[in-house]
Amino acid sequence: MTPGIDRRSLQHFDWVLLGLVTCVLGIGLANLYSASSPGVESGLPPEFRRQMLALGVATIGMLVALVLDYRRLERLAVPVYVGTLLLVASTLVLAPVTRGNRSWLIYGPLSLQPAELAKVGLVLAMARYFHRNPPSEIRRVRDLWGPALIAAGPVGLIVLQRDMGVAVLTMLIAATYLLFVRIPARAWAALSAAGVVALAGLWTYVFKGYQKERILDFLDPSRDQLASGYQQIQSRIAVGSGEFFGKGYLEGTQTQLQFLPTQHSDFAFSVLAEEWGFLGSVTLLAIYFMLLIWGLVVANNSKDSFGAMLAIGVVGMLFWPAVINVAMVLGLAPVIGVPLPLVSYGGSQLLANLVAVGLLMNVSMRRYIF
Amino acid sequence: MSTRLAGGQPPIEGRLRLAAALILLVLLVFVIRLFQLQILEGDELRRRSEQNSVRQVRLEAPRGEVLDREGRVLATTRPAYRLEVIPNDLSSRDRTFAALGQLLGAVPAELDAKAGSSKGIRRFRPRVLADDLDFETLARVESHRFAMPGVRTHVEPRRHYLSGSLAAHLLGTIGEIRADQLEREEFQDYRSGDVIGQTGLEASFEAHLRGREGGRNVVVDVAGRQVGDPLLEVPAVPGGRVVLSLDRDLQLAAEEGFAEVPEGEPPRMGAAVALDVETGDVLAMVSRPAFDPNSFAGGIDTATWRGLTSDEWDPLQNRSIQNHYPPGSTHKAIVAAALLQEGVIDPQTTAYCPGFFRFGGRSYRCWKRAGHGTVNLMDALRESCDVFFYTYGEKLGIDRLAIYVKAFGIGRTPGLGLGSEAPGLVPSSAWKRRRFGQPWYPGETVSASIGQGFNLYTPLQLAVAYAALANGGKVMKPRLVLRLETQDGITVKSFPTEQTGEVPVTPARLALVRRGLRAVVEEPHGTGARARVPGVEVAGKTGTAQVVRLDRVEGLKENEIPMRQRDHGWFGAFAPADDPEIAVAVFVEHGLHGSTAAAPIAQRILARYFEKKNGGPLVAATEGEQNDSGD
Repeated sequence: MTPGIDRRSLQHFDWVLLGLVTCVLGIGLANLYSASSPGVESGLPPEFRRQMLALGVATIGMLVALVLDYRRLERLAVPVYVGTLLLVASTLVLAPVTRGNRSWLIYGPLSLQPAELAKVGLVLAMARYFHRNPPSEIRRVRDLWGPALIAAGPVGLIVLQRDMGVAVLTMLIAATYLLFVRIPARAWAALSAAGVVALAGLWTYVFKGYQKERILDFLDPSRDQLASGYQQIQSRIAVGSGEFFGKGYLEGTQTQLQFLPTQHSDFAFSVLAEEWGFLGSVTLLAIYFMLLIWGLVVANNSKDSFGAMLAIGVVGMLFWPAVINVAMVLGLAPVIGVPLPLVSYGGSQLLANLVAVGLLMNVSMRRYIF
Repeated sequence: MSTRLAGGQPPIEGRLRLAAALILLVLLVFVIRLFQLQILEGDELRRRSEQNSVRQVRLEAPRGEVLDREGRVLATTRPAYRLEVIPNDLSSRDRTFAALGQLLGAVPAELDAKAGSSKGIRRFRPRVLADDLDFETLARVESHRFAMPGVRTHVEPRRHYLSGSLAAHLLGTIGEIRADQLEREEFQDYRSGDVIGQTGLEASFEAHLRGREGGRNVVVDVAGRQVGDPLLEVPAVPGGRVVLSLDRDLQLAAEEGFAEVPEGEPPRMGAAVALDVETGDVLAMVSRPAFDPNSFAGGIDTATWRGLTSDEWDPLQNRSIQNHYPPGSTHKAIVAAALLQEGVIDPQTTAYCPGFFRFGGRSYRCWKRAGHGTVNLMDALRESCDVFFYTYGEKLGIDRLAIYVKAFGIGRTPGLGLGSEAPGLVPSSAWKRRRFGQPWYPGETVSASIGQGFNLYTPLQLAVAYAALANGGKVMKPRLVLRLETQDGITVKSFPTEQTGEVPVTPARLALVRRGLRAVVEEPHGTGARARVPGVEVAGKTGTAQVVRLDRVEGLKENEIPMRQRDHGWFGAFAPADDPEIAVAVFVEHGLHGSTAAAPIAQRILARYFEKKNGGPLVAATEGEQNDSGD
């Protein structure tokens, strides 16, 4: 038997979790096929083929992440964290500047966005920290310097890559843990209220249109003004025109006419909404959010705090990009290039998120082991 | 559910419940928003999607211009009009195609077939019915378009090479980006269907020439016509200019030189290169046979493409850089410099030429059967005596010779920056061992001394070598592009001149060789008399490179020798002989003789250069005796 797997943990394998993830992946692939098929004369669309390949690699990643008992992984947390940081750092030296940022490592036909993997390293390191310093005992703001430092590593490097969107996302994942610390409610309220009011005030009253454009451009260098205004209009039309039942698979006119340039990646959800309507969109969101809730259940059932903290981090990894992405597609947030985890096109994203899911399974299947 | 955390820590269950509540709240917000868009506004948005009322129109950036050194446009971009149809939007196919048939002078059934089906997911995609409409047809179609929904005209910038095939190999070609190119990182912001430089300068300076695409978001009506002002417009940024070192006049002269063929002879093939000896500026660069790059500009048709690729003489190859050939006697100038520098000969050293040279039990022929008698270096260069070079070349030895030939820039790519340059070949004993696993035979040195055997030069390399001979020993990197400019003429980048080597021969000895080459053109009995330019002293060397063994063509009249078996003709030159400014290399593939085929082309280039410099026709000098028979 493989070390770390025994009969008991296999008996308790989390089939619910696997089922939910499989549903999301299946919907994502079917949707990607539709989104990438226009313009393809014969055979499978190249994006679809590449995503299948990435899925194979990512599945192996997931299996690796669940085989070794997560309590042993605690010891590996720091090396993994440092390793992913080094990988991100190497892009600063090795990666060519593309669309204003350096975030891709290219190995022949393969390309990797190490920032995605850095999220896994971050979650492992954070879980280890909060395992040793239980969040329930953190009662003062100044006790947060440790986790802040851990988060600063990847965030800082990603800022240097000039990939602001991903940097903000990574920060949000780290911030997930704030929900569990016990700093006084007054401090919380004051801090966040001040932040929100300041930002909202600046955005509404101080910044002029072109300045907002510049800030958004800064957050996401790959966006351009022409595209984003257009994308919001087209995304709204695509989603709305799906009505209740949708236009049918491969029948979405917005999709098949390629009104949305990044419909297979950032706007994947709008393709689904157009072709499967309210019914399909709500179904996917329901499954996806059930997956998130299930992650919290795994955290709650975990035998030890490292498992719980790990599960919370994974939920954060799946939650924040999904919120930003869906809000963007539905016109509730500005156009920032963030893919929908497990659904959008993109191999690095798929790998990182499936490894995270593997960690979640790992924690879940060992919930009865002492 | 109670928490079972070890270590008696306070439960986190409360906070997990809070997290779950927040997650469900977000889900609720999304479902409400979906309800709003898909149920409440669904009908309205469905209607808009069916009208496709907002379209994004790409504004293609015009490709940058390519100019010659005096600012004359060689390649530019002009508007081309295309007639397209969107099958889905056609109201009546029969009526529309009947009308279009009349307007275009085409068969309606063929147009119908071209338009494709009105069903299936491709029905929304525009199909091209006619490309590059002339203005009259365009006006006719436009005036009837209101009656033909689904039909539209589309204007796009198209590459235009003003002088057709002039400098075609240099300028290169454009074409749709290939699937394998799309995969490459450097082309990651290209989309399938984009046009990209595929060869020549178009490919080398793609990033500068391309510009940046713009776009326009417009509201359109059911017929696809724009309604009102654009919602948003980002103008395209035109591509920048590339300013060449090329002189269009010299380029024309060189091309004319190749075009002019005596009665009954096949069109001349080969290459010519003219360089500024001090800067290495490429003033002219020709390769023949050529092609018209305009035929690639709107997507090349299959027949033309097949014609170009199946042509046995390969018109797409740039013979001045992409292929190398045995240099024949043009090589002797370099051998002479090596002989002098190594002290094997001095200007007084003589050899006796009886018309052949015996070595190692074999006889090596001089091109002049009767022999040249006693000759010194001057005589041997002027009349291209083979025996003189056989005699002392063998004494010099192949490895010492190789050092000099390499120093003149042969055997390495000159670095023009057009991609795939041939390196030429400098044989040596080490090379032969590496390549064939055999020792070098002294008899091979004999052949190598007159440029036969293994030696290979590209025409550009010969020009670079002769420029080095002319400028006192500096091997210059040929400079094809002077600078990059924005489309308004602001310099973005200049390319400095660059010296890549130094010939290890003293100036006085190089001057001796130059004197010998002057004699080739200017003195009686010289083989290069056809390169004479009135009022200017020219120095040069003819060359004839054997293609098949002599006995294969022995006894045949020259015009009876099959094309493939005819010798190549070369001419390397520079002028003025005493203070050179320009170096020229001409290669005529299967041209029989350097003196008759290549020298006249060099003459045209040199004459045009000095006419321009003089600002008028050149003063004729006295006619000298010509020697056409030899090489």
